Amino acid sequence: MNEVVLDCYGEACPLPIVKSEKAIKDLDLGDLLIVQIDHSCAMKNLPEWAREQGYNVEVEEVDDGEWEVFIEKTK
Amino acid sequence: MSENNTSNISSTKEASTGSLSSRRSGSNGSASRRRPRKKKKNQIPAGILVVIIILVVASFLSKISATASLYWIIGVSFGTVLQRGRFCFTASMRDPYLTGSTTLTRAVLIAFALTTIGFTAIKYGYFMKGLPIPGMGYVVPISLATIIGGFLFGIGMVIAGGCASGTLMRIGEGFQMQLIALTFFVIGSLWGAHDFGWWKYNVISKGKSVFLPDVFGWTGALILQLGLIFVLYYVAQRYQEKQVH
Repeated sequence: MNEVVLDCYGEACPLPIVKSEKAIKDLDLGDLLIVQIDHSCAMKNLPEWAREQGYNVEVEEVDDGEWEVFIEKTK
Repeated sequence: MSENNTSNISSTKEASTGSLSSRRSGSNGSASRRRPRKKKKNQIPAGILVVIIILVVASFLSKISATASLYWIIGVSFGTVLQRGRFCFTASMRDPYLTGSTTLTRAVLIAFALTTIGFTAIKYGYFMKGLPIPGMGYVVPISLATIIGGFLFGIGMVIAGGCASGTLMRIGEGFQMQLIALTFFVIGSLWGAHDFGWWKYNVISKGKSVFLPDVFGWTGALILQLGLIFVLYYVAQRYQEKQVH
């Protein structure tokens, strides 16, 4: 069980998804990817993308306008 | 939530990640592995202050001109809807390629359908009364320039992370990186406006301007446009289903 934190603070919309897509490839099954974002648009489409891939996803607003998206690699 | 967190700081990494995977069925026992964080500021006083400022500016503007006041209120409302709805024209065109999701594409299509009905109603109302139809200045010639321009704008908005309205909305949210986008957006607009006469004379005016009700009649134009939007909606829906399975 590894936890990888991906810092995407200050990155505009498509980048968090592109980076997450790359990062999650290197993870093992059951590992957890934590993506930190502060772009409101990514807050919507990053979890949606991850859920469509079939991963377990949780979003938490850690501060005003800052979110952590927890993606568990399940397949 | 923050009170729960503090009691759980000591839980080990293994135990906590285990709890996430055990929540596979989606049961909501969340926040068990979260680190403590500072309490969020209460935004309500700031919100009330902003509403008061908006109203003061509106009443100030209405003394100068009622239209300016109306623009102000509509602008603020539009921004609020964009921000709260997480509506994004950029994502609507980009996500089908990037993630296979067409949720926002379909949202934009629904918006198009609604505006089609609304604008047709307004224009037809004026037409029935024999008054000049408003907004006919926006019926502009279409040509290859429209396609090339749209393509260039598309590249720009994906790199900038937002179209015109999206960029403005995110600056309002405090996303500083898009101030760069805004700066060049202003420079580009000014440059475009400066050279627009040349483009209009040499390229744009060579195209043909089409007002659909002139060609198909009012009902025909409405049915054609809504039908086209419906077909696009159906294609978008099927596209997303295909991407997932």
